[in-house]
Amino acid sequence: MAATPDAILDVLAKETGIDRSGLRLDATFAELDIGSLDFVSALFMLEDKFDITIEPDSLGPTSTINDLVALVTARTGG
Amino acid sequence: MSGRVVVTGMGCISGLGVGLAETWPKIVGGEGAIGPTGLAVPAARVDAGRCAAALSALDLRRMGQLDPLSAFALVATLEAVGQAGLAGHSSLARRTAVVLGCGSGGNATIDTAFERFYAQGRSKVHPQTIPSSMISAPASHVAMLLGLHGPAMVISSACASSAHALGEAMHMVRSGRVDVAIAGGSEACLSPGSLIAWASLGVMAPDTCRPFSRDRKGLVLGEGAAVLVIESENHALARGAVILGELAGYGTSSDAMDITAPDQAGIELAIRDAHEDAGLPTEAPALISAHGTGTRLNDKVEAAALTAIYGADCAGKTIIATKSAHGHLIGATAALEFVIGMRALAAGLAPPVLGYSEPDPDCALPLALGRTAFACDALVSNSFAFGGLNAVLIGRKAT
Repeated sequence: MAATPDAILDVLAKETGIDRSGLRLDATFAELDIGSLDFVSALFMLEDKFDITIEPDSLGPTSTINDLVALVTARTGG
Repeated sequence: MSGRVVVTGMGCISGLGVGLAETWPKIVGGEGAIGPTGLAVPAARVDAGRCAAALSALDLRRMGQLDPLSAFALVATLEAVGQAGLAGHSSLARRTAVVLGCGSGGNATIDTAFERFYAQGRSKVHPQTIPSSMISAPASHVAMLLGLHGPAMVISSACASSAHALGEAMHMVRSGRVDVAIAGGSEACLSPGSLIAWASLGVMAPDTCRPFSRDRKGLVLGEGAAVLVIESENHALARGAVILGELAGYGTSSDAMDITAPDQAGIELAIRDAHEDAGLPTEAPALISAHGTGTRLNDKVEAAALTAIYGADCAGKTIIATKSAHGHLIGATAALEFVIGMRALAAGLAPPVLGYSEPDPDCALPLALGRTAFACDALVSNSFAFGGLNAVLIGRKAT
């Protein structure tokens, strides 16, 4: 299943409780105050939804939302 | 100091409804919540949509994924703290305890994770499986909700968990360790895996819960939570709180006998200790909220203990068994029964034992078989858990 940026951000908004409009692409996870548990939960849901694997150390607190979108898009062949 | 521990807030959620204002008219009117589950045994379920609605105004972002176990506890806590007038109060801080009883943790979360791993063969389960399902999660969530920094814990003693929680919290207040305690219990044990495990034990009724009736066939599970705000009388008076009643006594014992079967001697010990602790003579009139699970052996042994203590006719006692309406909430059941019992004391009305169809000579007790008016000031609330863990609470009507 191809992952569109919108679909990725929808998952992230749901798992972190952050309003969709607040998920700026250039913001880091740390800047958005996304804790580690919400972060791993969001990765888990993205893996599930798009049937991909994301290595635990491929993203971190200083990664941006855009990094996540790029990674998931690449994994799904987008 | 008076040394008395008073109740200033009560909240509950169960199959009977959300909140005591909804629960009380139903239970005293003879309405029950037991219904089919789609499996071989019935149960009394909480309306999940109404539970979610009761929490919709909260910012739950920092709480992670809430298993119903924690959601129920939060709903009951919000009601109790609101009634106590303690929401945002300065005394809710370091000198407030959270002591909740839970029997088995977040079964729904565990079921979902294990089904995914074992049945679907997936290599990962949801990362929040552990924090959501851990048995202590409700205490953490209540502390986070209210910003409490005092002692916070969950006590687990199966069907007596929340009686132990209330009793130990009462001692914390009595000793002066804390001024206030948020105490009660929560349980969410109606996931399919949990229901099948209970059904396999051979103690579940296929139809309904019939405490002390000759044709009783076993217990029926329920789910939900009940939470009380208890505090020292001096603290309550100083802040001008409305006192709903007193948590006056607590007796507890261990049978040290069997992992499921009850023991009359252990039960009697707990009841007598509670009376002594409260300074309530066993001859005094009282409303007795029986453990009354509806199983063959438990009801017979409890009836024997009650008649041994109170006399063959249990003179001056009115006996209720409300599991027949809300099911057996395991770790939350004692707190819910104490809340209902205190409400009954205030009203002078006993909710009827439901499902009762024929007397059992082994359980010849003065049961409230219809809505029954009574006149007494004391409540004795019994809880006798698997594994022989007994706890009895005594409440007094507000004066």
